[in-house]
Amino acid sequence: MSLIELNNLVKIYSNEGVDTPVLHGLTFTINKGEFVAIMGPSGSGKSTLLHVLGFLDGYTSGSYRFEDQEASTYAGDDTAHIRNKKLGFVFQSFNLLPHASVYENVQLPLLYSDISESEWEKRTRDSIEKVGLTHRTDFDVTRLSGGEKQRVAIARALVCNPDVIFADEPTGNLDSKSGGSVMQTLQDLNDRHGHTIILITHETYTAEHAKRIIRIKDGLVESDIELVERRHTEQGILMK
Amino acid sequence: MTFKHSLKTAFKGLEQNRARSFLTILGIVIGVTAIILVMSLGQGAQSLILDQVKGLGSRTIIVGAGREPSGPSDAGQIFSDSLKQKDYDLLQRRENTPSLKMIMPVVFGSASAAYQSETYNLTIFGGSPLFGNIFDLTLKSGALFTEEDVRANAKYVIIGNKVKNQLFGAGEAVGQTIRMKGYNFRVIGVLVEQGQSAFNFDEAAIIPYTTAQNYVLGIKYFNRFVAEAQSDALVTSAANEISLTLRESHDITDETKDDFFVITQVTLASSLSAITSVLTIFLAAVAAISLVVGGIGIMNIMLVSVTERTKEIGLRKALGATYRNILTQFLLEAVMLTGLGGIVGILLGALLSWLIATAIAHFSTIAWTFVFPVSAAIIGLVVSGAIGLIFGLFPARIAARKSPIDALRYE
Repeated sequence: MSLIELNNLVKIYSNEGVDTPVLHGLTFTINKGEFVAIMGPSGSGKSTLLHVLGFLDGYTSGSYRFEDQEASTYAGDDTAHIRNKKLGFVFQSFNLLPHASVYENVQLPLLYSDISESEWEKRTRDSIEKVGLTHRTDFDVTRLSGGEKQRVAIARALVCNPDVIFADEPTGNLDSKSGGSVMQTLQDLNDRHGHTIILITHETYTAEHAKRIIRIKDGLVESDIELVERRHTEQGILMK
Repeated sequence: MTFKHSLKTAFKGLEQNRARSFLTILGIVIGVTAIILVMSLGQGAQSLILDQVKGLGSRTIIVGAGREPSGPSDAGQIFSDSLKQKDYDLLQRRENTPSLKMIMPVVFGSASAAYQSETYNLTIFGGSPLFGNIFDLTLKSGALFTEEDVRANAKYVIIGNKVKNQLFGAGEAVGQTIRMKGYNFRVIGVLVEQGQSAFNFDEAAIIPYTTAQNYVLGIKYFNRFVAEAQSDALVTSAANEISLTLRESHDITDETKDDFFVITQVTLASSLSAITSVLTIFLAAVAAISLVVGGIGIMNIMLVSVTERTKEIGLRKALGATYRNILTQFLLEAVMLTGLGGIVGILLGALLSWLIATAIAHFSTIAWTFVFPVSAAIIGLVVSGAIGLIFGLFPARIAARKSPIDALRYE
């Protein structure tokens, strides 16, 4: 079943009468359970694509169907609810709430959900367990290492049990060891728990952890390949 | 998002910046403190004044010459000689004033009294033997003058406690002679100390009204009639009987042209409390201006806070927070700040007014009582909460309107 279906998607930024086209007509489909890396040099439009796919921004023309419904039919609070229920985000700079514990950070999306409060604790603890941070549950996030912080962000993305997780350069601010643990966690979520993951990166060695790589250049799909031999971070080191 | 979690989120937001939160609410604290202080002291002053009015006696009725001035241009003094002996005779008749128990004419003026080398400036009251009865005065020594003394224009005087101390010191006053307006008066009585009351009899000399009119003041009229009604219930009808009698005597048909005025404890209390109320409200309104200034301070800091926390707002939006969620969070922060400021202000205001009340009671003879203005406290709390809502709305809307991508990108 197709989760995300793009058909000739175009995004043009208009600023003070000047139109800047960023996405020139993207067409591809992503199915449930896939682990896709979207690659491209900076300026290729991959961040813009992530914003459109993540219901953080609209698009100019073409079609973006999410779970068989056109994204442009959602408006206002609907997009907030979709982001809360069906999407999970992992950002390059972690974006954790400072002065809050791992538990509080992971629980944050539940505050905005319609999931009953009696389930919150179980969901939060389960998410923390999935990323292997149970021993850090009550730590203040400022005391964690970079890799641990990013895994907290992944746990937070998981807590509402989304249909897809968007990871935007998740290893960009990390050393190779921490980056390795983050990629291992993402692979684990895809392999063992069947989560759909869309990874945005400009590094080939990071992208090769996915099962499929879509390369974007100048707002167009340059290539779309299934990986035959996938990179694994068995030793927990991100190899260049 | 449930309200409980909105509150928690807002509380955490404030807790992370305790020093700033504290400084932000200072304006509100000072404003509410000032309001509570003014209201508390205002009510204290009011109850003090009302207590003094009660010292007048609940059955006492005072008739004054002239008209109660209705404005600064109103020449009330024009009729200051309107109360005459003829009026006194009419008011004394039972058929005219059945509700009255007794009535006495009063004249007054100031004079200097001398005994040997000592002199003292005092107020002279001329009255009848009912004087002690009506004003509830007790003599420390000696006796009041009699009807006989009044008819005889006797130069007898009863002096207040302070006058006695000034002129005679520890010595015996009764039987001595003091000199006022060139006449010798024999002291026949000394009053016990009166303390705070409607009239300051401690610094007064009381003589027969005939003597006062003919020798001391040289007038043919009375300044006041002081009367007492048969009972509390008859005060109003007694006041009416007096008015009707005087109008008939003065040929007045239009009561707006009365050349006299009648005061009872009730009318005096209501006009005095009206004055203090207006004064209190005026001062509280001035104090309220500082609340507005405090509100602007809140708005300023909330705007800074919103800008500072742009990234947090972007994150929350990406995780599913709606416009309303963010708006509520920042509005609650503002209302919690001002509400806290209000509570602190109420406590501080109450403490300060209690200290002032205690100090007044301790260091002076004024019987000042501490009044905690419950209504002002409620108003203070509601107003400070409302200020949080009003001045928090603008920053909260700015926060809630932020686009999640711009906010996430913000460095």
